[in-house]
Amino acid sequence: MRGVRSFPAVAVLLLLRASVAAAQQAVPPTVRYDQHVSAGGSAPPAVVPRNPFRGDSGVAVQGSQLFSGFNCDGCHGGGAAGFVGPSMADGRWRYGGDDGAIFMSIFYGRPRGMPAFGGALPAETIWRLVTYLQSFQPPDSTISTTSW
Amino acid sequence: MPPGSANCRIAVPLAMLITVLVACDRGPALAHDDGQWTMPGKDYAATRFSGLTEITAANAKDLHATWSFSTGVLGGHEGQPLVVGSTMYVVTPWPNVLYAFDLTKEGYPLRWKYRPFVDPQAIGQACCDIVNRGAFHADGKIVFNLLDGHTVAVDAATGREIWKTKIADLNAGETTPMAPLVVKDRVIVGNSGGEMGVRGWVKGLDLNTGAIVWTGYSIGSDADVLASPGTFKAPYHDGRELALDSWPKDGWKHGGAPAWGWLSYDAELDLVYYGTGNPAPWNTEQRRGDNRWATSVLARHPGDGSLVWAYQFTPADNWDYDSTQEMILTELTLSGERRKVLVHFDKNGFAYVLDRTTGQLLSAEPYVPVNWARRVDLATGRPEVDSTKLTGVTRGITKDICPSLEGGKNQQPAAWSPVTQLFYLSTSNLCMDYTASAASYLAGTPYVGATTPYTAGPGGHLGAFIAWDPVKAKRAWEIPEPYPVWSGVLTTAGGVVFYGTLDGWFKAVDARTGAPLWKFKVGSGVIGNPISFRGPDGKQYVAVYAGFGGDWFLISGDVRSDDPADVRAPATFMPDIARHTSQGGMVWVFGLD
Repeated sequence: MRGVRSFPAVAVLLLLRASVAAAQQAVPPTVRYDQHVSAGGSAPPAVVPRNPFRGDSGVAVQGSQLFSGFNCDGCHGGGAAGFVGPSMADGRWRYGGDDGAIFMSIFYGRPRGMPAFGGALPAETIWRLVTYLQSFQPPDSTISTTSW
Repeated sequence: MPPGSANCRIAVPLAMLITVLVACDRGPALAHDDGQWTMPGKDYAATRFSGLTEITAANAKDLHATWSFSTGVLGGHEGQPLVVGSTMYVVTPWPNVLYAFDLTKEGYPLRWKYRPFVDPQAIGQACCDIVNRGAFHADGKIVFNLLDGHTVAVDAATGREIWKTKIADLNAGETTPMAPLVVKDRVIVGNSGGEMGVRGWVKGLDLNTGAIVWTGYSIGSDADVLASPGTFKAPYHDGRELALDSWPKDGWKHGGAPAWGWLSYDAELDLVYYGTGNPAPWNTEQRRGDNRWATSVLARHPGDGSLVWAYQFTPADNWDYDSTQEMILTELTLSGERRKVLVHFDKNGFAYVLDRTTGQLLSAEPYVPVNWARRVDLATGRPEVDSTKLTGVTRGITKDICPSLEGGKNQQPAAWSPVTQLFYLSTSNLCMDYTASAASYLAGTPYVGATTPYTAGPGGHLGAFIAWDPVKAKRAWEIPEPYPVWSGVLTTAGGVVFYGTLDGWFKAVDARTGAPLWKFKVGSGVIGNPISFRGPDGKQYVAVYAGFGGDWFLISGDVRSDDPADVRAPATFMPDIARHTSQGGMVWVFGLD
């Protein structure tokens, strides 16, 4: 939570709580999975695939809170370093790493088990998550090579 | 009739012929024939003991690979093959291909393979890799679970699907990697998803039609857990609604306690035994109470599912100590009295001996280093917990809890030898720090709320293979291993014990002394369970899967090579495992000349 000036910790918690409550109450499960996944590819009309928070380190910190709050870390690991789901911190992207591609992955889900959060989270919340995932330092170029 | 039933008759001594002629029609009865391996645990008592004697401690050094087959699947290969007649059956991790190999022909060509559609959404719902723990042969059918919440029965002779039943809801986070148990005309199956906030159950299906006959929940009202006053008696609790009143209001609805492990069966008592998983979420402060019957053993009648007794190993679980490990059935003489017992090596580090008629606790001693509890009180059945090891959001970080949530032992089943009167088991030697956080329930996403880094346990080695004397309640011998040991165990009347290691060795050791006899590098880490069978040529063979994965797929660093968009830093507690293994599924068979 340190370093968040414009958006204090309490506000993050309130945002999280409100978002979770909204997600728990207002999500028709039939929309959250099959239809979103099968619809994959076409952008929701109201969303321009450009991250309005790009490079905002304060928003990235909020995004890291949301990453835990919406259980993303349960699959992608603490620090998004990979767990049952792939690493999001290695600078490599299965479905593309630009603003719109990451947004779409979260919004629509992906076929090998990524749930669609588009019915559960407002676009702004998804952009905060995207901002967090884009905030990792470019990894050491040797990350894909290990020597003993 | 299963394929190769003629070989089934020929392959056994003449004196057994009449038994086998009958047995070939009835799958479970075949378990008594040591030439075959027709159910996950070898027999209903889940001993994983083979009576075959050709391979001995004296000649095991001459073992060599006689056959291998790539399954074409990279997920962790838990579980074990079956051998029925002259056919070996192998079910893979997702996408759950079922292979049937013809053991009568050179190179074991396929008789058939069965490739079901299994929803890839299951990959993201399964907590801990996309494993499958095996199939069961009964009544000419191979019965197993698909990861996406279906049970199927396949004709053992032709590979034709006989029935397919949806048993679980993927959208609610339920998956189904466990191996069924078939008793008479009932197929018993359970769900996974203790990390997704599911509500645990077992179901009884009709073997002939696949229809769901009953559902017994682990948690909730007496009606839902199938506990009726005339039938159910918990050894340490009186009263009603025990699985409801030990939860906060509605906490049980997403309270976990799934049944993803192994089942065993006592025909005389007509009771099926199985353990339940952790309560959800991992942050214990969101579910104050004992959380019955999570982290428990349940005994049910298979016909109607009615609950007869239940015992909870870890009340108010603070540490993700699932109790889904197998319940091995045997008889022991304790304090001069012969008892029908159930022996269970829990994730929480204690080895339990229970009277399996009533659920009464007879002994509980640590089989690995334990510090979360000082002892288990035999009068009350409850652990005496060290309060400094309790966890929860308000406690911040709780340091150095042993064992870690990987357990003293986890999914990998132990074996019991009636010859040596010893249990053999693969263990982990890890401790953990535990920081809980508030978890939000969102259907189909993880419902956890804890960060739990691991460190090496006492001694610095990360695992050990041990022999356990259940009467003395202590280790008979121990083989330290550099990594957590995650394979199941086979023991034989030839006096040999087989197990595999995470770094990809398959080993044979002397059942009496633990002396190493033989080892072979199988290409990938072993998390499956070895079996033994007699081939159509009359010789004894040992089969095992290689295929690194399970929990270790999640946390071992860079052990996958199939996804260029997923590279990971080494695990802090086990930084060099990827030097020795990558993913990769293989079936191996070993024998003598």
